[in-house]
Amino acid sequence: MSVVSIQIPHDEILADAGHQTCGLEHDHDHDHQHDHGDGKKKRAYGPLVLVAPFLIAVLIRNQYDALGSADFRLWSTLFVSVSIQALPFLVLGVVVSGLIAVFVSPELVEKFVPKSNKLAVPSAGLAGLALPGCECGSVPIAGRLVDAGTPPAAALTFLLAAPAINPVVMVSTAVAFQGQGTMVLARFIASLACAMLVGTWWARRNDESLIKSMTAGEEHAHDGGRLRSFVDVASKDLFHAGGYLVVGSLAAATLQLVVPRSVINAVSGSEWQSVLIFAALAVLLSICSEADAFVAAGLPQFSMSSRLVFLVVGPVIDLKLVAMHAGVFGRRFALVFAPIVLGVAVLCAVVVGQVLL
Amino acid sequence: MNRVGRAAVMLTLGFTMARLLWTGAFGWFIQQRMQIPLLIATVVLLIMGVYEAVQATEEETKDPESRTRSTAPKVGWLMILPLLVIVSVQPVGLGAAAADRVENFTPVETESRFDELDFSQGVPELRVLDFVDRAIWDDDGSLNGQTVRLEGLVVNDPDVPDGFLLTRFLVSCCAADGVPIQVAIQGVSENLVNDTWVVADVVLIEPDVPYRENDADRWFVNAELQSLTIDLTPPTDAYESPYE
Repeated sequence: MSVVSIQIPHDEILADAGHQTCGLEHDHDHDHQHDHGDGKKKRAYGPLVLVAPFLIAVLIRNQYDALGSADFRLWSTLFVSVSIQALPFLVLGVVVSGLIAVFVSPELVEKFVPKSNKLAVPSAGLAGLALPGCECGSVPIAGRLVDAGTPPAAALTFLLAAPAINPVVMVSTAVAFQGQGTMVLARFIASLACAMLVGTWWARRNDESLIKSMTAGEEHAHDGGRLRSFVDVASKDLFHAGGYLVVGSLAAATLQLVVPRSVINAVSGSEWQSVLIFAALAVLLSICSEADAFVAAGLPQFSMSSRLVFLVVGPVIDLKLVAMHAGVFGRRFALVFAPIVLGVAVLCAVVVGQVLL
Repeated sequence: MNRVGRAAVMLTLGFTMARLLWTGAFGWFIQQRMQIPLLIATVVLLIMGVYEAVQATEEETKDPESRTRSTAPKVGWLMILPLLVIVSVQPVGLGAAAADRVENFTPVETESRFDELDFSQGVPELRVLDFVDRAIWDDDGSLNGQTVRLEGLVVNDPDVPDGFLLTRFLVSCCAADGVPIQVAIQGVSENLVNDTWVVADVVLIEPDVPYRENDADRWFVNAELQSLTIDLTPPTDAYESPYE
């Protein structure tokens, strides 16, 4: 593979270490002065930081036996699949979040987003109809919305609603459950209800301190024009959300291998057990919201309402989302948010399932 | 992660994706219809990578301290991990190891009726999904007594002692959501290794009880083998999906 060649002029890549520590101002100055001394040395080794892992990877692949076990190759297929599949949505998400950072000013938000949470939460939920993507894209967008001054309750409602009720997901659900149109309706109602309930809860709670701002400690660079700040934000968000996405893919691929199918087979009898198992599977498997309907449709031995739980829980909370929430909004937020969302989503799905399915 | 690091990873990522798209190897990981979205994402990544690299060079000459101003969290470096796995393990598509773990796909009943099969041009080729679907749901018995051609990979199974499970994966988005569709091929004399791609001409074995009324834990649509060829050009190479 030709990926070993890096297209950056060599002396552009610097070992990050010395520069990341921009703590105290005078320290930094000192660092910088010092840099001129041994800067040449650092520059020479810089490219190795990125190239070395690839060289090692290429060397390892000839030691085939070590990496050739069927399970390990399956694991790596799953890991790479989840990562690549999310990439288009992630890129779409960070492009939108870059646009928000450039074009959506706090004044604009003040003008258009309803002041009262009673109005803001439902409209944010319905705004989710407009984002054709999956959950990976909506996390950085919600982060930027908060930074642009959107009330967190509304941004979080959007975060939960968008990946579940957008047209792409609705169509794929309809395709997967052909001839069972109520499933599409049930998914729409339960997901929207879940998003709004969590949004309302957040509005009541009103604890702003729990959300870490994405731009905290980040300088706003206004000097370079809109294109420049757009790329700057998009690229930062790409690595911010993308890094946590990789953490999530690692977890999801591992758990797909660890959860044996006997577990799934064992519980198809009892309704309550299967509701719980489907909620757990949705969290552990971390399947993209555009694909989960097909997975659920492939398990016809379970009741419709337990499969609805899978479809409602999956887009709002799963392993990779917990990692992404923690990255974008802070660890404390993720710890509080995840169990609430899980509980509300299961509740909404069960209630809607009882009524409709 | 400063601008230079981000530019480098974006370009590496972009070139790796471009290569997967070019060779068609992306088809092992994601559905074919994801090709266009992935292509667009790749182009955006490459453009952003070049732009950031140029910006970094300009910044450096104007103001050597500027690199510390725009930093993304270090966790972003993890984005090279999938690339490292692609390069080192060279993962291939789903096979016997995956089929072992996931419950078989059983098509649900649909309203639409089945088209007539065309036997005038020789043995017709059917998707494995289509074969299983017809075997379970076609009341007109369009498969009964007819030879049809299936393509898939071999999965050996103790429940099929003198044959194998001809397997194809149904993938809706990416390989992680793949579910196997399997037909138990009976009357096979050769011993085939797992994951061999084969083209098999088969005739459906009609069950005593209709498949749809079968409530056993684990059951398969069965077919009698007529002739078998090892597939020398399996659909795992460029531009043909290994998945259904």
